Amino acid sequence: MGTKTRAPPKSATEPAVVSRHLPDKTFVIDNGAYTLKAGYVSDLPPAEDEALSACSTIPNALAKTRDNRVVIGPQLLTHVSDWNEVMFRRPVEKGYIVNWEAQREIWEQSFFEEKATARNKSSRIANPEETTLILTEAPNAIPLLQRNADEIVMEEWGFGGYTRCIGPTLNAWNEVHTLFGDSTTPQPDAAPLPVDCLLVVDSGYSHTTVTPVYKGQALQRGIRRLDLGGKHLTNYLKEIVSIRQYNMVDETYIMNEVKEAVCFVSNDFSADMEQTSKAGRRRQAGSDKSVVVDYVLPDPNAGRKGFMRPHDPMLEAKKKKGALSGLSADVLSEDVLVLGNERFAVPEILFNPRDIGMKQAGIPDIILQSLSVLPTGLHPPFLANVLVVGGNSLTPGFIERLETELRQVASADCVVRVRRAQDPIRSTWLGGSRLAANREELGKVAITRQEYQEYGSGWTGRRFAGNV
Amino acid sequence: MFRVELLTDTKSTAQPGWAYVPDRGFDPAKAAMAPTLGRKRGIRDAGKGGDMTSRQNTAIVRHLAELDRENQRDVQIPVPVKQAKEAGARGTRAKTTSNVRRILQSQKTFRNHLDDEEAAISLGAAGVSGGGGGGGAAQSTGVGGMSGGAVQAKSGIASKGSKSSSVAQRKRPLAAGATTSASATPAPSVPETAETGTGADDEADDGESAPKPKLLKTEYDNDPLLRSYAPTAPSERLMQRLLAEPPLSYNASRAGPPALTAPPRHFCCMCGYWVA
Repeated sequence: MGTKTRAPPKSATEPAVVSRHLPDKTFVIDNGAYTLKAGYVSDLPPAEDEALSACSTIPNALAKTRDNRVVIGPQLLTHVSDWNEVMFRRPVEKGYIVNWEAQREIWEQSFFEEKATARNKSSRIANPEETTLILTEAPNAIPLLQRNADEIVMEEWGFGGYTRCIGPTLNAWNEVHTLFGDSTTPQPDAAPLPVDCLLVVDSGYSHTTVTPVYKGQALQRGIRRLDLGGKHLTNYLKEIVSIRQYNMVDETYIMNEVKEAVCFVSNDFSADMEQTSKAGRRRQAGSDKSVVVDYVLPDPNAGRKGFMRPHDPMLEAKKKKGALSGLSADVLSEDVLVLGNERFAVPEILFNPRDIGMKQAGIPDIILQSLSVLPTGLHPPFLANVLVVGGNSLTPGFIERLETELRQVASADCVVRVRRAQDPIRSTWLGGSRLAANREELGKVAITRQEYQEYGSGWTGRRFAGNV
Repeated sequence: MFRVELLTDTKSTAQPGWAYVPDRGFDPAKAAMAPTLGRKRGIRDAGKGGDMTSRQNTAIVRHLAELDRENQRDVQIPVPVKQAKEAGARGTRAKTTSNVRRILQSQKTFRNHLDDEEAAISLGAAGVSGGGGGGGAAQSTGVGGMSGGAVQAKSGIASKGSKSSSVAQRKRPLAAGATTSASATPAPSVPETAETGTGADDEADDGESAPKPKLLKTEYDNDPLLRSYAPTAPSERLMQRLLAEPPLSYNASRAGPPALTAPPRHFCCMCGYWVA
C-alpha cells in the first residue's frame, strides 16, 4: 500500500465537536454497473416526478464500436448508431467500482465537463468543494475498494461533503406507504424519514441482493446475495440463441435489447413449457395464447431498429419463394429470431438457479435465508414490506411470481406483500435525494472535507461503517 | 529412512501486491464464480452422495464463468489519451496525490481484491486496508446463515410453542416450518462465540420489559395446544446491537443452497426440453 495520508489520531474520537458545515448543494450518484444514476437534489422536497426529472441515467461503460472508435459514458446515448459487435469495458465489476481509471474518465465526461451545455446542465458539478456527494455502493463491499473510493472522491475531486452508503438502504427513504396501500397521515412540511422495516430486493446488472433495512439502516447479518443479474440473463439468452439460430455471441447490446423486449417470468413454468413445445410441433401459431414471437433484428445500414412481432410460421416458406411471394424488399432482407421458450426459460434462472447448475437458492428462498438469521418478531413486518428495485424487476411477471412463491414458503401467519418501486431503476437515487432533504440525518452520516483532511481515509472508512 | 517435516511459516506475509490464496484446483482466475469443491475432492467424492461427476462440475463452473463475461472475446479498451489542452485544464484543481495515482494505476481485478481479502481474513487481520468494517476474526465465524444462531435460537425458544401449533393448525406445507427451524439447528457450534453473552442477557432483558405475545384470533383459541401467538417485536436494545454488527465478508454473504432438495431438472438446450 502506498503512503497513508495521515494516521488517524487515536484521541480524536469526538469529531462531532469540530464545527462542521456541509455544503448546501447535494449531488447523488447511484453508481450502478450498467448505468449510473446521478443528479442534484432540489432544495425543497418536491413531488416524486419532479425530483426524478433531475436524475439522469448514464451508461457506465467505455465501448468500442465495430470501426474501432472508443465511446465513453454519456456519449453512448448519442454517438453510436451501429450497435453491432460493440464491446464494453465496465469499471464496475460484480457491483463494486474496481477500475478507477475507467470510472474517473466516465465521471469526468459526465459530471466535470469544462463548459456547461444544455445537455449536461442537470448533471454538471461545477464546484465539487461546494457540493456534498452521496455515493452508493453494493452491500458487503471489500474494505480496500471502499477505501479507494473514499480516497479518489476526496483527493481527486475534493468534494466539500461526502457520504458513501449501501444503495438498497436508501430505498427506505422513499414514500413507500402509498405503494403498499397503507394509510398514513401525510405531513407535507416534515422532513422525510425512513420507513421502519423494508426488505429490499435489488436485482441489477451484476447480482441480486436481499437487504433487510431497519429504520434506514441495513441489518448486516441478513444481507444475502445471488450471483445472478441482468448480465447473466443476457449472456444466457445470447448463448441459447447462438446455439439454436444465429451466432450472436458478439452482440451483447442487441441481445440485451431482445431480452428487454421479449422476456417474461412464467407463473407456471411447466405448463408454459408444454404449451410452447406443442405449438412448435403443430406449427399453429398466431393464436393469442402463443408464446412464440419473432424479433426482427436491427439493420444499421437501413437505419432500422429491432422490434418484436407475433410469430408468422409461414414467413420462412414465403421468403423462399422470393419476389414471387409478394413480400416487400424490407421483409425479404430482414433477419428474424424466433423466440419460444427462451422468453421465460432465461429469467427463470433467477428463481431456479439450479437450471444452470448453480448451487444457490432462488430469490424467494434467499429472502427466507435472510430472515432466518433475524429475530422472528421481525419476520412479519419484513414479509409485508418487500420492495423490488433494479432493472430485472421490469421483466413482466417478476413481481407476481415472487409474491406467489414467497407466499408458499413463508409462514402462513404472515402477510406477504411484494411491490415494485414506481421507477425501479432510479428508486435508489430518489431515496438518496430524500435523505439529502433531511439535513439533520445527512449531517449524521456525511463527513466534511476538513474532517477528511484531518483524520484521513482510514477514519473515513470506520466512520461510514458506523464505528466512529 | 528420512522424514519430511513441514515447517510452519510463522512470519506474516501481508505485503502489498501479493498474498497466499487458497488453491482451488484448476485456474481460479478463469472461474468468475468460485467452485465449491476443489478438483481433487471432486474426484474423490464422486462416488459418494453427489450425483455429479467432477467433470460435470467443472463444466458447470466453466459455463457460469462464461455467463459472467462482459464480452465474448477478450478486448482491451484503453481510456483515450487526453489532449494536452484538456490535461492542462486540470491545473485549476489540486495536484494528484500519491493515493490517487496508486489507485488509478492499479490494474487489479475484483478477483485479485477478493483473494487479498480472503487471505487477510484467514490471517485474522482486520482487513488489508485496516479501514475497519470488513474482515476480522469475528466475521470468519459468521459464515452463511450460521451467525444468526444465537438470536434465532433465542427467539426460537420464545415462540416455539406457538410455532409448532400454527404449523398443525394451518395445514400449510411443512416446508416453511422446516426452513425456519432448520436454520436454528446448525447453530450448536456458534454459541461458543462472543454472541452467547449477548443472547443470554437479551433474553433476560426481554423477559422483563417485552410485552406479552399477542394472541392471534382464531377459532382454536380455547385449545391450549392450537392457539397461536404473534411473535413479539424485538427489544430496542437487541435492534441496536443488530444494527451495530459489522458487515459480512463478500463470500459470507453469498446465498446458500435451497432448503428443499427437489431433484433438479436439466434443460437440454439442443432440443429445448426439460429432463427431470
